[in-house]
Amino acid sequence: MVKIIVNGREIEADPKKPLIKACHDSGVDVPMYCYHPGLEPVGSCRICQVEVKQGEAPGRVMVACRTQPAEGMVVDTESPKAHETRKECLEFLLKNHPLDCPICDKAGECDLQDYTYAEGQAAGRTHEERRELDKRKSLGDTIVLDQERCILCSRCVRFFEEVPKQAQLTVSDLGSRSVIATFMDRPLKGKYQGNIADLCPVGALTLKKFRFQARVWNLVKMASTCGECSRGCSTTVEVLRGADVKRVRPRENEAVNKFWMCDIGRFAFERHNRPGRMEGAALREGAKLVPHPVEEALTRLRDELMREKSAAWILSPWCTIEEGERAKALAARLGHQLCFISPEKNGEQDDLLHTGDPCPNRRGLSDLGIAGFEAAKALEAAKGAKLVVLLGERVVELLGAGEVARLDATRVAVHLVDEFALDVPCVKSVFGAANCVERVGTWANVDGVRGPISAVKAPPIGARSPAKLMDELVRLMPKLQEHAR
Amino acid sequence: MSQNERYLLTRANIEGAHQIAVAEKHGAYAALRKVLKDGVPYSAVIDEVKKSGLRGRGGAGFSTGMKWTFMPDPVKDPRPRYLAVNADESEPGTCKDRVLMERDPHGFVEGVLLSAYAIRAQAAYIYVRGEYRLAHDRVAAAIAEARAKNLVGKNILGSDFSCEVHMHRGGGAYICGEETGLMESLEGKRGHPRPKPPFPAMYGLWGQPTTVNNVETVYNVPFIMERGSAWFAGLGTANSKGNFLCGISGHVNKPGVYEFTFGITAKEILEQHAGGVWKGRGLKAWFPGGSSCALLTGKDVDVVLDHDSLRARGSSLGTAAMVMIDDHTSMARVMEIIARFYDHESCGQCSQCREGTQWLSQIFHRIAQGKGQPDDVATLEALAKGMAPGKTICALSDAAAIPTLSAVRLFKDELLECVRQKRDPLAQPMPQYAVAGGHH
Amino acid sequence: MALEANFVAEFDELAKNYPEKRAIMMLALHRLQDARGWLSPDALEDLAAYLGMEPVEVYGVASFYPMYRLRPCGKHVVSICHNISCDLRGAQDIIAAVCEATGAPLHGTSPDGKFTVTTVECAGACANAPMLDLDGTYHEDLTPEKAKRILGSVK
Repeated sequence: MVKIIVNGREIEADPKKPLIKACHDSGVDVPMYCYHPGLEPVGSCRICQVEVKQGEAPGRVMVACRTQPAEGMVVDTESPKAHETRKECLEFLLKNHPLDCPICDKAGECDLQDYTYAEGQAAGRTHEERRELDKRKSLGDTIVLDQERCILCSRCVRFFEEVPKQAQLTVSDLGSRSVIATFMDRPLKGKYQGNIADLCPVGALTLKKFRFQARVWNLVKMASTCGECSRGCSTTVEVLRGADVKRVRPRENEAVNKFWMCDIGRFAFERHNRPGRMEGAALREGAKLVPHPVEEALTRLRDELMREKSAAWILSPWCTIEEGERAKALAARLGHQLCFISPEKNGEQDDLLHTGDPCPNRRGLSDLGIAGFEAAKALEAAKGAKLVVLLGERVVELLGAGEVARLDATRVAVHLVDEFALDVPCVKSVFGAANCVERVGTWANVDGVRGPISAVKAPPIGARSPAKLMDELVRLMPKLQEHAR
Repeated sequence: MSQNERYLLTRANIEGAHQIAVAEKHGAYAALRKVLKDGVPYSAVIDEVKKSGLRGRGGAGFSTGMKWTFMPDPVKDPRPRYLAVNADESEPGTCKDRVLMERDPHGFVEGVLLSAYAIRAQAAYIYVRGEYRLAHDRVAAAIAEARAKNLVGKNILGSDFSCEVHMHRGGGAYICGEETGLMESLEGKRGHPRPKPPFPAMYGLWGQPTTVNNVETVYNVPFIMERGSAWFAGLGTANSKGNFLCGISGHVNKPGVYEFTFGITAKEILEQHAGGVWKGRGLKAWFPGGSSCALLTGKDVDVVLDHDSLRARGSSLGTAAMVMIDDHTSMARVMEIIARFYDHESCGQCSQCREGTQWLSQIFHRIAQGKGQPDDVATLEALAKGMAPGKTICALSDAAAIPTLSAVRLFKDELLECVRQKRDPLAQPMPQYAVAGGHH
Repeated sequence: MALEANFVAEFDELAKNYPEKRAIMMLALHRLQDARGWLSPDALEDLAAYLGMEPVEVYGVASFYPMYRLRPCGKHVVSICHNISCDLRGAQDIIAAVCEATGAPLHGTSPDGKFTVTTVECAGACANAPMLDLDGTYHEDLTPEKAKRILGSVK
């Protein structure tokens, strides 16, 4: 590490990393387009120019992404010269850039908007016609390219080369005719395409699934963790006006996913917006499941649980560590069997992020000592018990709704805590469950790294997290006696 | 300044000198043979060239001997090392390296070998612009002839100096004449210049130590080794040593590639050698060293055509390619062409260059077409100042800005008049021809 | 499809001169274009396969260099320098003469498919301006009449 001075403050900097990183890490905002901490620096956009003084030589304006910190370096990111140079650079970038802000998805989180507002000029002076290019070039199912908005930072091109390590995009032609292109307009392949929409500093690369869906300043964003595989990429879940999840994006996590996530996880959020969610609780009365107040339904369940010795708790691997702890305590207290469903590998594993294990908390539940059973084995356990509690989002999906429906209603009573009700004879009670964007908890990924999930939106009326449900259940049970001495 | 010494074009002017028998009869490879026979250490070759004062002839004019010393010590840094010869000659007005390659390829190959020897390169790659097919074929044939006589390849002339020489071809991109753009292209990529540092001597071709030298530069080396640095340093001026090839083109009676000793004035070149401005006209403006330098006016012909004199006059020697413009010519038209060139050639990496070269081109085009706006000339100046100096990865942005600033400084009234009149009063009538759509 | 055996053999030999195979890219593109007249998408894809690269990478390189023709062209290609030294000595008149003699529009191909006519930036013939490049051969010190004669004698 070396000591450098940035804007009058001494900081420690890694001489092997670019100056811009040292600035960012110490809270100094230096603009960037082509630079990204997850990619090799190229120094082409020229926006990160700062004034650097080393020794006796006069200060020079240099790009911070291709400057290595050296002992005694004095950096001024806000000097008049630095501002002037960045302002000039912005004018050049805006010369051809279409004035699309009113219709551009990127508005509100656009680096071109932000830096222009901060240090650009208010009025352009070009008399020239802007480039006329394809504004809706489909790059496949996921991404649409607006060639006019592109500022040729080449992050998208370099991403495919450096991260999944298979080139899919290029800068074609050269100079002022440069455009981002695939070969022969072939669509992009693979499950890491969505990352280039995150990387794009402007609205040139956008997600088809997010196009015109929301203004970003209307989104509530909270930290979360992806549940689609055991990598548990850190995410940010973004909800529009308390209603639908509109977007999920990766959150930087050096220990897990760096800056990226796969498209399987990125677009899984649509399932969180499905209608028909189970609200509150319902009890079977004959052929029908009839809504009942949750407290009442829970009291009935408590009675059943305390009476029945031959019972099995089957957890979804989407249950949190907190839910696993509670289930373990309850099962131990009641002398019931406990397991979680261990789904089969789904073949999506790759060299980058996806583990192929399509559930988020296998590790967290296993580390608690809870057994993981494949769906078939879990069903056997269910068949062998007289009472079964199926607990957690996707539990029915993992067992197979048809399989659950086929359980002999005369021999086993199923009590369900899930996002959706399953109205089949063996299901005696249903409680609406909050899913992984509607409750707080913790998962542990394949490497044991813990990731949080957050309540980014409210669950359906009366639905609650399985953890909360189990707490309420315990409160309804007599207090545990201390053993007599 | 004496103009009596001539050596650069001597062998080139001999019929058939591209054949090894003729070339050797007229001295080709004599210097190489002597260096190897006498076991002259590579460091002595570097010293001799350094003492000679030879400066690069590709446009930048950096001390050749000093550049060679930037290569790391091969004992401490045993990575493979290369000489890359820049035969991409694409600077507007420049057509001199071509003469050497086409007419004295053996002298050129000898220069390549001696330069490779000095920097202890195992291989030399000659990157010749794709359009120069004759030059490419002549040099390739010369290499083959030389190889047959053990002058190229393993253990040259029985010494322990081994050097492969390979021909490579460009694809018509001016930016590949930039040393790092050249290396990218040689590696099989888009010719995008690399940020410096790291410099080629530490990180060149395939990341290995590399020196890039111009054709004419290396061509001088055998003469320096044979006749000595004192001889070379005795030619020329205090800051510009030796002889140089000067191209003079445009509105002159005898355009051509001539050899001069530094110290000659532009006036002498124009009047004594190029037959003066054609059609009895006056000289309005001229580029002394290709289009990437500041324009000079007719009054400036008294300048000595060397590095420091031209710098003092506000321009630069560049490739010593004089482009002469008569007093019937529109400067708006001249700059329309010059600005279009840089727009065409920008690689597009840097924001200022990619957008700026296009912007300058569009403005000059409008002015020349009578569609100039009142603020255009001021904008030209502001844009050019935003594009240079040293704000981009390479100097193409500067190369576009410099002539622009000089045109605005010297010919502002003429440009403003085009704007005012909504036409270019000096425009020549253009012949008509059909143009297919969708072109640059 | 794959590269023809003769190209594979030639490129394998050339590749020996470089520490990385990719370095033969420029030479290979020239050879393929010289043989076929232009570089089709198939040619780029075949070359990519030979080099162990993605087609998009080869396309990115080929599209950078003005000499590589990525669209079909006429049997003969005429390139006329329109940079400063040539313009000062009448390049525009040469362009007009060539278009007239060939029947091709500038940047286009003649209806009979015989000629494609294009302009290029400085070709390095400044001292002998104006010039044209016909299928890789420079013709210099032109007049419009000389240009027409040269093109008229093309079979």
